[in-house]
Amino acid sequence: MKSQTATNRQFSSRPSAAPEEALPDLRSDGDKKPVQFAQPVPATPERRKAPRSWETPPAPVAAPPFDAYESIVGAAELDELRFLARELKGKTIKMVNSTAVGGGVAEMLNRLVPLLGELEVPTHWDVITGGNDFFEITKGFHNALHGAPYELTQAAREIFLSYNEQNRQRMQFNEDLIVIHDPQPAALIGARKDSHARWIWRCHIDLSNPNPQVWGFLRPYIEQFDAAIFSSQSFARQLPIPQYLFYPCIDPLSEKNKDLDENFVQKVCDEFGVDRSRPIVTQVSRFDRLKDPVGVVQAYKQAKKYVDCQLVLAGGGASDDPEGAIVLKEVKEVAGNDPDIIILDLPPWCALEINALQRASTIIVQKSLKEGFGLTVTEALWKGKPTIAGAVGGIPNQIIHKLTGMLVHSVEGCAYQIRYLLTHPEFAAQMGKNGREHVKENFLMTTNVRRWLLLLRILLTQGKA
Amino acid sequence: MSSTAQITPPHQPAKPFYFNSSAHLLRITALKATTLAEFLEALRACPEDSIFQHAFRTLQEHHFIREGFSNDFAHWALAGLNQAGLAEQLANVDVREYTSLAELRDRFIQIVEEHLKNNPGDASRVADETFYFCASDIVMMPTKFVAQSMQEFANGLREVSVHSIHHHFIEARLRIKLMSNDFSQWLLEDVGLTETARTLNRIDIYTGTLEDVRRQVVRTVERALA
Repeated sequence: MKSQTATNRQFSSRPSAAPEEALPDLRSDGDKKPVQFAQPVPATPERRKAPRSWETPPAPVAAPPFDAYESIVGAAELDELRFLARELKGKTIKMVNSTAVGGGVAEMLNRLVPLLGELEVPTHWDVITGGNDFFEITKGFHNALHGAPYELTQAAREIFLSYNEQNRQRMQFNEDLIVIHDPQPAALIGARKDSHARWIWRCHIDLSNPNPQVWGFLRPYIEQFDAAIFSSQSFARQLPIPQYLFYPCIDPLSEKNKDLDENFVQKVCDEFGVDRSRPIVTQVSRFDRLKDPVGVVQAYKQAKKYVDCQLVLAGGGASDDPEGAIVLKEVKEVAGNDPDIIILDLPPWCALEINALQRASTIIVQKSLKEGFGLTVTEALWKGKPTIAGAVGGIPNQIIHKLTGMLVHSVEGCAYQIRYLLTHPEFAAQMGKNGREHVKENFLMTTNVRRWLLLLRILLTQGKA
Repeated sequence: MSSTAQITPPHQPAKPFYFNSSAHLLRITALKATTLAEFLEALRACPEDSIFQHAFRTLQEHHFIREGFSNDFAHWALAGLNQAGLAEQLANVDVREYTSLAELRDRFIQIVEEHLKNNPGDASRVADETFYFCASDIVMMPTKFVAQSMQEFANGLREVSVHSIHHHFIEARLRIKLMSNDFSQWLLEDVGLTETARTLNRIDIYTGTLEDVRRQVVRTVERALA
C-alpha cells in the first residue's frame, strides 16, 4: 500500500519554487512582463539544469496546407471541397471579429482563412478596434448573453454603438459575404445598405437563456442579417432570418491534435510523473467551477475503491485568474495526499503536452456543469479515447450515450462510468473508435470549410433579399 | 471471324456510371418539441427537408455506428422520452421502403398517433432533452470518377467518399422514385446484371456502417466480375 503521507504531485505555472530554481526569461524581448513558466512542485524538490520542453512558449506553427489534410480525410473528400470552391471562384469573404489572438474564434479563423484562400476563395479577416470602455461593455454583454444579470445603461449602448460606427467608417465591405463574429461588431450591419454582400452573423455564444435586456438591444441588429449561424440547435433564437448550424471544429493537424511520436508522449508522462503502466483518467480544462474539477476528484476517489487508476487534472487559468487560483486550491484540498492525483497548472502554449497527456490517457473526462460546445471533448474523441462527459451545452451533440461516449449527470454517474470503462476495455475501445469517426465526419476543420463553401453557394444563388 | 473484330467484354455497360456526391448544410427550423404532443404537432408541420434530415441525412452523419441508431426521432424517443417501445417502432421504419418524404412523414405520424392513442398520459410528459427540428439544404456535385466498365465501377466504389455512397445508395430513391438505388438501377438497366442489382438492393444499411455497406457493394460487384 502506498504511503498516505506522500503529497499528490502538483505542477503550477505560478513562480512558487525557490528563487534559485527560477528559470530565465527565454524570450528575446526581455523588457516585457516575464513569462510565467509551468513549474513542477514535486514532493522532493530538485534543481533543474535546463528548462523542460513545456516551460517555454514555442514559436508559432505555420498553418498546414490544404493538401496535408488528405492523409486525414482522404482524397475524395478534398476533391469535393475543391469542386465546391471552383464553383465560387471570384467570390470573396470577409470575416470580422474582435480579437486577432487568443480565444477559440481567433484560433479557428487562423486556420480557416488560409484554407479558404488556398481554395481560391479569398478571405479577408478584419479585427475591430475599441477602447477599454468598449471591451468592458462587450464582456458584460457576453456574460449577459450567457444568462448573467446585467443592467444595460444608456451610456453602455452609446459606447457600443459609437465604437461600431468608428469601425464601420474605417472598414470597407466590398466582399461577397461578410461574416460578423459574435456581438461585439454586430452593429456593423449598418453598412449593409452600402454593400452588395450577403451578411451573416456567426454567434459562438450559448444564447439559450440570454439576458432579455441585452438580447433585446442586439436583436434588431441581428434581424438585419441575411442569416445567422449557431454552434448548437439549443443556442438558436426565434428570428425572422434563416439559422444554420455550424458545429465548432478542431484542426487535426494542430499542435493540440496532430499525431505524436510515442517517445514524446512517454517523455511528457515521465516529466509529469504519470505512470503509463497503470490506467490514467484525465480531465483537461481550466480550473473553473463550471468544469467541476472537484467533482472529478470525488468521482475518481469513488471509482478508486474498485479499480486502480491515476487522475490527471491538466489545465490553466489559475495563474492569471483569481477565481482560478481559488478553485485550484479547493481541488488540492479535496485531492489531499493521494500520490496518484497529478494536478498540472499549465500555461496556454502547452498544446503539445496536453496532446501527449490526452494520448497517454486510458479515459478522458469532461465533467462540466455548464459548457459552450466543449472542444476538449472533441479533442478527446478525435484521439479515440473513451470519453465521459457532463450532458450539458453542446456535449450531447458530440457524445451519443454509449455509442460515442458516456454522458453523466452526477459525481456518482461519473464514478460508475470510470469503473465500467476500465473494466470493459473492448467496449471502451469500440466507443473510442466511434467517437473518432464522429469527429471525422462532423467536427473537423475540413467539415467547417465545407460548411462555409456551402453557405456561400446557397446564399449567393438565392440572390440578395 | 476477322482478327480485327471487336470483342465485347462480358457485362459491358451500355452507358457509363457517373459517380456524384452531395453536400448538406444544416438549417435550424423554428420547430422544437419538449413533449410527445408537441413533437407530433411539429412532425405534421415541419418542412419535408426536416424529414429528410432526421431520417435520411442522419444516417450519413452517423454512418460509422453499427447499432442502435436508425433515425433521430427514434433516438429522441429513447434518449429524451425514455419510451423504449415507441423508439423501437420509430427505429423500425426503413427509409428504403419509401420513395417520397410525404409517405415517410405519414408513417412516423401514424406511429406516434397510435402510441398516444394507447398511452394518452405520455402526451404531456416533459422530455429530458428538447428535440430541435433541423433541415438540410443540399448541393449535388460531380466527382472525378466515371465507370465505363464494371472494373472501373468497382474501382470507383472503392475510391469515392462515403457521401457519394450515401448519395447513390440511400438518398437515391427519393430522386428516382423507385424502391431501388442508383447502383442497382445502373446494373439492371445498363449492364443487364439483374441478380447483382437485386443483391445490392438487399444490403442492410441499418446493421452496418456506411463503410461496411461500401465493402458489401464492392464484394457483390467483384463476384459479378469473377
